Amino acid sequence: MIYSIGDSIISPLAMTSHGNFEAVLRGESRLQYYEHAFGLPEPSFLSLFEEERLDQAFSALWDCGTAGYTRMEKAAIVAASQAIGEANIAADRDNVVFILSTTKGNVDLLEDNPYEPERVYLWRSAQLIAEFFDNPNTPVVVSNACISGCAAQITAANLLRHGGYKYAVVVGAETLSKFIVSGFQSFKALSKERCQPFDTNRCGLNLGEAAAAIVYTIDDDDIALPDNTLILRAGAINNDANHISGPSRTGEGLLRSIRKVTDGHDLSRLAFINAHGTATLYNDDMESVAVNRAGLQDTPVNSLKGYFGHTLGAAGVLETILSHQALKHHTILRTLGTEQPGTVQSLNVSLQNQPTDGNTFLKLISGFGGSNAALLMENHTHTNEPSSVVETRLIASESKTNEPSTVETRLIASLQEHHIASTCQITDNAVILNGETFITRGVQCENWLADIYHASGMQYPKFFKMDNLCKAGILAAEILLRDVDFDREQVKEDWGILLMNQASSLDDDRHYQTTIRDAGNYYPSPAIFVYTLANIVTGEIAIRHKIGGETSFLIFPDFAPERLERIAVQTLAANPELKHLICGWVDYDEGRCDVRMFLYQLVES
Amino acid sequence: MEDLILELKEGIIDVLNLEGMTPADIDENAPLFGEGLGLDSIDALELIVLMDKNYGIKLANAEQGKEIFKSVRVMAEYIQANRTK
Repeated sequence: MIYSIGDSIISPLAMTSHGNFEAVLRGESRLQYYEHAFGLPEPSFLSLFEEERLDQAFSALWDCGTAGYTRMEKAAIVAASQAIGEANIAADRDNVVFILSTTKGNVDLLEDNPYEPERVYLWRSAQLIAEFFDNPNTPVVVSNACISGCAAQITAANLLRHGGYKYAVVVGAETLSKFIVSGFQSFKALSKERCQPFDTNRCGLNLGEAAAAIVYTIDDDDIALPDNTLILRAGAINNDANHISGPSRTGEGLLRSIRKVTDGHDLSRLAFINAHGTATLYNDDMESVAVNRAGLQDTPVNSLKGYFGHTLGAAGVLETILSHQALKHHTILRTLGTEQPGTVQSLNVSLQNQPTDGNTFLKLISGFGGSNAALLMENHTHTNEPSSVVETRLIASESKTNEPSTVETRLIASLQEHHIASTCQITDNAVILNGETFITRGVQCENWLADIYHASGMQYPKFFKMDNLCKAGILAAEILLRDVDFDREQVKEDWGILLMNQASSLDDDRHYQTTIRDAGNYYPSPAIFVYTLANIVTGEIAIRHKIGGETSFLIFPDFAPERLERIAVQTLAANPELKHLICGWVDYDEGRCDVRMFLYQLVES
Repeated sequence: MEDLILELKEGIIDVLNLEGMTPADIDENAPLFGEGLGLDSIDALELIVLMDKNYGIKLANAEQGKEIFKSVRVMAEYIQANRTK
């Protein structure tokens, strides 16, 4: 059983989980109109940290001044510190792993970087956060666009069940910048007024800053827990395999995730659904379709975006904690800003704070790259009925102990059930397929990725619209799968994609930065901005090959073969439904291409 | 008008990365979206940027673009009537 032993939310509203809950209960929000936030020419409606307040909170932890850390890092450290303090764990032990959920980290440093050059890399921020607590392990960065916060909690559960750790500190953190706000503006996705989730008049989202942290641990299912403990019952991620920025009109991926986390569970005490509810036309319609298709249209639905805005990489963590606070206080929170619900299919939108005797909630989230996630969370109390919940997704690999030897045995068994069916490596000079040279770079070559495209025989005009990271990834997948027999027409739930790299989407980030750098030539490009998320490459591969299972993107300081294999096996162990997993390192930075992609397949007995 | 149509086709091929296409491949009277060029919602947003950058025309949202981006000829007529640069 995976459960929380400490949490924290710091936001412009308040600097603790409970403080934020009380402010939300009072209907407060720090979302406000800015005429020229970050020097932008267009107005925006944002929720921003007060610098002084953030620095005060950070200074209470660290007496060497605030200059050594960025705003995002300070927010993350304050949240993590509070959660670790509540959990009362020794974060410097090697049985603790840090997981950072963020979409853009310190991307604002592309404009002006007073720190070391590596500071713009997400792995470096995660490293600094873990080092602040003297943690000896390599931290994991989950960068899965807007679903990152929920994906990070699922990663935590995997690492606790299959990675040998006893504690996972999940930190979601996002601060805003000219880069982020201009990109969303170029997408025409922002409302210039307070957002209205699920409202008939909704006209876009608001962005917000926040950091939130949860410390999860693992124990036997029959352990006696204190009242009001948050239990992570199940989590799932699914790809729409439809479009990199537009939600599926049929809610396909989100529906699959809802079904995975609810199948086999008693939902009689499901209190509410905390939806993504961004207040964009298409997201909220998509969620209404998925919830209706899941038969949950009568369950109260709320969105917290009217209080905090969309806090991107922090959203999944923040909204899980706040929903738990609400459940502890037997409350279904109001969807602030919404007056007249109006989605393509009807939802029971919570328009007032209301009482509940439920003990469970569903957290839903969706994002760019076609990604969707659902979490089934339970507030444990002694008055709960004896649990009839069956952890169906993980039953095959559940264990009573987390001794390393048991974990190793389980992983070896999982590896034996799968084998690597195909490999593809792309370097700056050659493409290697299953150990043999597929193509070498010509002396006269000017565009290596385009040369590989033509050599692969791929007919996919969209290739030329992609950034270099996506081009490298989709080419590797194309070549990796060229001799593999599989259904190329139907969306496949038993296929997944797990990629990782060092540079995230930094190559494209730098490209986008050139479109907003000069005030006299300020034309932020949506077609470039959409690729400033590392997980878009998983979305492009999912669309091309119709892959509807879990897709995820992780970031580490370097390529380590044993780490990649371990994570692949952990992912397969945690997702018994996955029979095929495209797993690999896909990196493109400073003109250098480094791709090592593997196809793990279940051995049919 | 014909010069503007040609310029527009070249601009569309460039900003939308329509690899291997030439202006002659684009029928100025054919729908830009839904068929033919295979454009999507991100392309529509990028065309809004093109209108602003090259012709000084600011479109508030993608919905407004739907009418203007019906075909290259419709775009050219709108630009001719509304351009500020």
